[in-house]
Amino acid sequence: MSAWDIILAEAPRFFTWWNLRFLALAVVNTLVASVAGCAMGYAAGFALAMLRLPQLMGFAPVRVLAILWVETFRRIPFLVLLLLVFFLSQFARLEAPLWAVAVTAVALRMSALAAENIRAGFETVRPTQWEAALTMNMPALTTLRRIILPQSWRVILPPSIVHVLSMVKETSLVSQIGFIEITFAAKMLTQRGFSALLTYGTALVLYFCVSWALASLGRWAERRLTLRPARLTP
Amino acid sequence: MTLQYGQILQYLPDFLLGALMALWIAGLAFAGGLLIGLFGAAALTYGAWPLRAAVTAYVRFFTYTPQLVQIFFLFFALPEAGIILSPITAVLIGMTLNAGAYLTEIERAGFTSVPQAELDAAETLGFSRLQTIWYVIAPHVVRALYPALSSHYIIMTLGTSMAAIFGVEELTGRALNANAISFRSVEIFSVVAVMYIVLTIIASTLLWLVGRWLFRVKAKVF
Repeated sequence: MSAWDIILAEAPRFFTWWNLRFLALAVVNTLVASVAGCAMGYAAGFALAMLRLPQLMGFAPVRVLAILWVETFRRIPFLVLLLLVFFLSQFARLEAPLWAVAVTAVALRMSALAAENIRAGFETVRPTQWEAALTMNMPALTTLRRIILPQSWRVILPPSIVHVLSMVKETSLVSQIGFIEITFAAKMLTQRGFSALLTYGTALVLYFCVSWALASLGRWAERRLTLRPARLTP
Repeated sequence: MTLQYGQILQYLPDFLLGALMALWIAGLAFAGGLLIGLFGAAALTYGAWPLRAAVTAYVRFFTYTPQLVQIFFLFFALPEAGIILSPITAVLIGMTLNAGAYLTEIERAGFTSVPQAELDAAETLGFSRLQTIWYVIAPHVVRALYPALSSHYIIMTLGTSMAAIFGVEELTGRALNANAISFRSVEIFSVVAVMYIVLTIIASTLLWLVGRWLFRVKAKVF
């Protein structure tokens, strides 16, 4: 039987209400794990980028620690990081649910990527702006919030959406610890006897749709942010 | 329960071989991807619209779906159509096609980095086509592409860890084997994590040095 015959023969049995609901749940799980992990990762990454600002952190050791954190977590493969978090939670007898392990691993990886992204955004603002604000006795944190951030978030936002997109794809590795996201759902359906062509094909289509939506959002954001003249940057 | 690193010392030579294998897999897939990327970028820049549409579809498909599922598809779904691949072949084909998609996008950016004025100048000076490519176009393209290509190679080295899922014995695969024998999970995976960090730092530094000496690229690599 050719591939096409297999798909045609199995499709009615595959696309049942139960299977579709199961796959929809898997898509939601994928999105929740990646978006929640990214949100936490971005919060941590923001803190890390702040630690690396010489204007905010007077002493160098803290900056070194922040750099070490970033270099560590961006150089560990996501699969290894995930397994490490998974086994550490077992070792510490945390009884952590699988989604918590998944979100923690995503957040750790994201914190490193986000820190670099946010730092790059901060660096597009000229240091003279810091100097001017600090000379006028504006507190450093207020300077960051009212002067640096409004100028740098246009640079930070578009790559952030790309990061969420790449995390959505990397969560496919979470299937290895048994969290029911798209890839694991496809694997389960294969084990129920459905054709792998159909199950993994459907998984690919689902990922493609999610990524397409996110990428369109990213392009839209980028267009919107860059079309308007950036009056704030001299 | 305490951490016992002593027990896993015996696995270190095995892990080192695995690390070399990770570099080798990434290198092979990267080389293939570079070639696909060259054709893809040329097609996108100079091709007719049906060719451009086909290349765009290829790039979109491979960049919008996870590499893991692509390899799952090659490994589990293709046998139903009569094509049976060994784990390492499936991983290599999957990684090469995936790299080809990303490198098409990267290399296309490099093609556009040559200023028209320099091409005009080369023509005025009577450069041959080969001379123009070698002395004018290549330096620009290499300098523009080198950091992005090097970073992608490092990212691909990290990506080889997913080959373990298919039973390929690179670094992560060997770690999983050692874990199945000794059950020292935290120790093994923390050591492996450190090995990946050291491996990529060495690779980044080497690529950075090569870039500085050969192509005078000053940018940081990964």
